[in-house]
Amino acid sequence: MKRVSLFVVLVVVLSTLLTACGGGTTSSDKIRIALILPSTIDDMAWSQSMYEGILAIQEELGMDKVDFEYSESLGNPVDAGAAIREYADKGFNIIIAHGSQYQSVLDEVAPDYPEVSFAYGTGYQSHDNIFAYDPQAQEGAYLHGMMAGLMTQSNIVGIVGPVEAGDAIKYNYGFQQGVEAVNPDVDVRIAYTGSFGDIPKAAELAKAHMDAGADFLTGTAQQVVGAITAVKERDGVYWLSNDMDQSPLAPDAVLSAQTYDWVKVLKQIIEYRENGTMGGEHLSLSLANGEIKMVYNPNVEGNVPQDVKDAVEEAKQQIIKGELEVALPD
Amino acid sequence: MKQSIWGKILILIGAVVGALLVGALLLLIAGANPLVAYRAMLIGPLSSRYGITEALVKATPLLLVGLGIVIAFRSGILNIGGEGQMVIGALAGSACALALPDLPGILLLPMTLLSSFLAGAVWGGIPGWLKARLSVNEILSTIMLNSIALQLVTFMLRGPLIDPQEIAYGTGFPQTAQLPEQSWLPRLIPRTRLHWGFVVALLLAGLVYVFLWRTSLGYRMRAVGAQKEAARYGGIQVENSLVLAMALSGGFAGLAGMVEVLGIHHRLLDGISAGYGFSGIVAALFGQLHPLGTIPAAILFGALTLGADMMQRAVEVPAAIVLTIQGLVVLFVVGSDVLMRRPDFLKRLLGKRMMPIPEETSQEEVPS
Amino acid sequence: MIDQLLQTHIIIGVLATGVRLSTPFLLAALGEMFTQRSGVFNLGVEGIMLMGAFSGFWVTLVTGTPMLGILAAIIVGALMGLLMAFVSVTMQAKQGISGIGLYMLGWGLAGFLFRITVGYVTSVEGFRPIAIPILSDIPILGTVLFNHNWMVYFSLLLVPISWVVLFKTTWGLKVRAVGVTPEAADTLGVSVRGIRYACVVIGSIMAGLAGAFLTLGHTNMYGDNLTAGRGFIAVALVYFGRWNPWGILAGSLFFSIVDALQLWVQVLGLDIPYEFAVMAPYVLTVVALAAVSGRIWEPAALGKPFDREA
Repeated sequence: MKRVSLFVVLVVVLSTLLTACGGGTTSSDKIRIALILPSTIDDMAWSQSMYEGILAIQEELGMDKVDFEYSESLGNPVDAGAAIREYADKGFNIIIAHGSQYQSVLDEVAPDYPEVSFAYGTGYQSHDNIFAYDPQAQEGAYLHGMMAGLMTQSNIVGIVGPVEAGDAIKYNYGFQQGVEAVNPDVDVRIAYTGSFGDIPKAAELAKAHMDAGADFLTGTAQQVVGAITAVKERDGVYWLSNDMDQSPLAPDAVLSAQTYDWVKVLKQIIEYRENGTMGGEHLSLSLANGEIKMVYNPNVEGNVPQDVKDAVEEAKQQIIKGELEVALPD
Repeated sequence: MKQSIWGKILILIGAVVGALLVGALLLLIAGANPLVAYRAMLIGPLSSRYGITEALVKATPLLLVGLGIVIAFRSGILNIGGEGQMVIGALAGSACALALPDLPGILLLPMTLLSSFLAGAVWGGIPGWLKARLSVNEILSTIMLNSIALQLVTFMLRGPLIDPQEIAYGTGFPQTAQLPEQSWLPRLIPRTRLHWGFVVALLLAGLVYVFLWRTSLGYRMRAVGAQKEAARYGGIQVENSLVLAMALSGGFAGLAGMVEVLGIHHRLLDGISAGYGFSGIVAALFGQLHPLGTIPAAILFGALTLGADMMQRAVEVPAAIVLTIQGLVVLFVVGSDVLMRRPDFLKRLLGKRMMPIPEETSQEEVPS
Repeated sequence: MIDQLLQTHIIIGVLATGVRLSTPFLLAALGEMFTQRSGVFNLGVEGIMLMGAFSGFWVTLVTGTPMLGILAAIIVGALMGLLMAFVSVTMQAKQGISGIGLYMLGWGLAGFLFRITVGYVTSVEGFRPIAIPILSDIPILGTVLFNHNWMVYFSLLLVPISWVVLFKTTWGLKVRAVGVTPEAADTLGVSVRGIRYACVVIGSIMAGLAGAFLTLGHTNMYGDNLTAGRGFIAVALVYFGRWNPWGILAGSLFFSIVDALQLWVQVLGLDIPYEFAVMAPYVLTVVALAAVSGRIWEPAALGKPFDREA
């Protein structure tokens, strides 16, 4: 019991000591963007892609026009909620909570700060001042599935999944449809590590897939960097990357990447705000609006036969025109 | 001989200052001004309505988990399974609330809290039972049960309990639908997240105190914790007492999980345990393993964590520094604990250091 | 699916995966065994592993020599061990809690140092598998046991070595005495603190090596929270193995082979929810221990600080 009163005294003493120093910041007519990340800015996946997107927009609109702060490793929604409130209190205009898990936190904070625009995703539920962005990851996944289905020698392809939910299901479901469409003989093997960040487990799962005969692998979440490094060590096995272009990690093994154009999404949000719309929009990222991009890795692009490229390009155009719809699980 | 109160204050200040000095080194490496950083860290949680209420929001689960730790520790067992017990409790409570959406709040809220307590008690009781009946060490079983609970909850959240909306929109995020509004713990102060769960936790702290010090059952449990063999000779069922201690400890953790759900998120999703299973142990120790001492300890540890988070954002240093400073504070405070209990310790220690004992040449920080 | 699993190359795959997965557990748990045998409970293994993983990775990235990375992991492990020993042995802290402090410190510090030194995902050239001549040609067993990198062999070799050190040397006798009756050992002139410092440092060095195995012998990279709970599992396996190197070997292999099996079962197609596959090693470890229950011996002084003048 006594120990505790000591703490109080201690905090008060230190506080008074430190009140003297430090100063405040003032804001001008800048756009102030704050970003909440479940993982880290260097995870080479979902979190890093958005971080780089905001850096790019800062670059484009001018450092003096965009004020940007971020807070990372906020996988647990409690601390994320504290961070979001803090940014809102500090007068940030746009607060991006980059994960599906932040939906309920935003529901709770947003009504208290009507002058702030919040955004989160992957999500569907928008509100007066909440934007929900929603990458149609199944579209690029479908094209990846076609590549794997057309190019596999062993007729076995493997998926290194984190947890069977959310974006992972969307991606895997689209991928399976793509494979099925071009080569029904292929065995698509899906396995999960049960964690988003267990890099060694993802590496071991990738090795098991390859030992069992898979020559095309893909997967989602920040754990996959372990799988990609494992794929790099084997000859004749390709990785299809998602969220970000992960080819710097394995320049000869990553064949293609589905990436998101966050700059466009952010510009949309800024534009909405300028026109007086604080939220309430469901922002879908798709091949059709150009916010999902497919990029081949130039190092190995030559290994993709022209007829495969043509077939993939044709399907892409069909998806864009709406002639081909990639289904979602129900 | 006991340390005087002022001596204790000095030791504690010394320990925390020591931890912050080491932390300052890291802040300098990261290119931040430690004075500005620590100002944000120590003033932030105290200087605004936001800071004070958020510190209490963090203190609520710390206190609840900490109360369970106090019961377990006093009964002679360390419960490191709080993480699993929290999520299992929240799972059962959320399922209960979702199953009975039409029940009035006055019935639904207590039922929800009770079911979370019971589920946490079962999850905590299993290691106790395994230990008492099958000699399975509780450290092993609680570590394993933490991982098992995590997978079990993911399974329930993406399967039987998933929000139908998540299916309808194809997003498939593993979380439950919003719980019926009458089951929520109302806010204490509008425009903040502080909710009645904090008051519930305070009341329970009093209850645990009464239980441990004013009932014969509590007395018997403490007797086992103080002197297991003596208690056995005294006719106390040591094994049963351990099972009960683990079950109660797990029950409080389970309750902590549900209170987070009902007070903050209003639905169950992954990640709500947020390390409280471990930081609750720290809060209990800082509170001298006393239920009432855990109250201010949880508040101050909550403020410290929140402050570190705010500091990290204010001076823009890597988030990992928050954990580092927490770890340093824990090590310095537990490391200086002995100086509070025994004032002559430092003198003896330094006296001994004059003699050549090679094993003691460690260059680690000496709390002042 | 069962007949699929019984194919030779699948069995080999499962067992080889299991052996590889067991190495970090084996290294860290053997180290923690010494720590606990001397009467100190170090719950901070996870934090030390992360520091070992980071330092091994970073030094290798900078120098290009993985053996220097191993050296760095040993030094960093020893420093973390000295810190733990100082707080827990000299300052007589409550050990469960000092371990939690060490865990937070190690996790945070490793993440912090990674950010300021590297700050992006990259990989290094780690240790390559070395096929042991003749032995690696033995059918099945050759691939399962004799086609790994040196750290896997090293960890397996440490099992008999630890057993000899603990049970057949005077020093081992002192360690065991200090962990059971420190007062008696002290009366006989054994330095209780000396032994405990040594054992905590040995345990921490091995935890550091376990972390370095993950970065240099397994994934060839570092990422936030790379160990993902393996340090805690290692602590649990010490109890599974009942403070005996052979028991710890059995526990590490059992846990890891079940884990490997569930990965392979998933890969080959599974019709139960995958979560139940993922939790299998955790469940079966508890069940296995419960099944062979009996009177348990444990180091009587485990977790209790020793103070001659108290």
